[in-house]
Amino acid sequence: MTIDATMVGREYAAAGSYQVGREKIREFADAIGDGNPAYRGDDAIAPPTFAFVIGSRALEQLLNDAELGLRLDRIVHGAQKFAYTRPIKAGDEIAATATITTVRKAGPVEVIMYETTLTTVAGEPIATATSTLSHNRADA
Amino acid sequence: MIEAGFELSPLTVTFRREDLVRYAGASGDFNPIHWSDRMAEALGLPGVIVHGMFTMASAVRVVTDWIDDPADLVEYGVRFTKPVVVPDDDKGASVTFSAKVEKVTDGLAEIDITAVAGEEKVLGRARAVVRVR
Repeated sequence: MTIDATMVGREYAAAGSYQVGREKIREFADAIGDGNPAYRGDDAIAPPTFAFVIGSRALEQLLNDAELGLRLDRIVHGAQKFAYTRPIKAGDEIAATATITTVRKAGPVEVIMYETTLTTVAGEPIATATSTLSHNRADA
Repeated sequence: MIEAGFELSPLTVTFRREDLVRYAGASGDFNPIHWSDRMAEALGLPGVIVHGMFTMASAVRVVTDWIDDPADLVEYGVRFTKPVVVPDDDKGASVTFSAKVEKVTDGLAEIDITAVAGEEKVLGRARAVVRVR
């Protein structure tokens, strides 16, 4: 029930693939208040940060790893970066895999970096997301 | 011709509690710090805060509103330096995003984005890289 540097390299694949729907893209674009026409219609692409929505399904597996003992309500998102090979499009079927890349501890706070790759189920690369999370194990 | 120093049109976004609820639903991020004052305060936060990913999504609109095709975004990263606290009222919290082209090389433009709420910067090292045609 703790996390340390020996966990670097652990991989977590999202359960099943994510089928990108144009209505989901529109819903997300509406939620962020972005009226860009590129995010609407039959040929819709997803807003850039939608990659995180798909990647978070792999993060869910990481959070469910009982050996790490992480709790969502103790996590603060510290940093996020994306490198895009191409935009996510309506109709894509996407697989997400998260890999722990760095673990740093400062008292009760654990800083965890992980990298998530998004590819189509056929293996075409789409994006890589790099995330930094701070997990606080101490009660406030 | 895009050159270093070019300033993009700024954008002010207001985040209200209802916007956070809508973002939670659309993104699937139901972390209670984004909807429960009780849970946010238990974690030492001053109150409910905007999802970092929601702030990040809003910031890049300055860039994607400017380029013809959002598909030309090749890289985008931020640090979440300061939480944006959203009071439970109709006014919400406003953040102003501005951006400037830092350099243009090999068909790529690097754009630095600034996000300010009140007097404080809420994002650090916010940078987008776009293909220029």
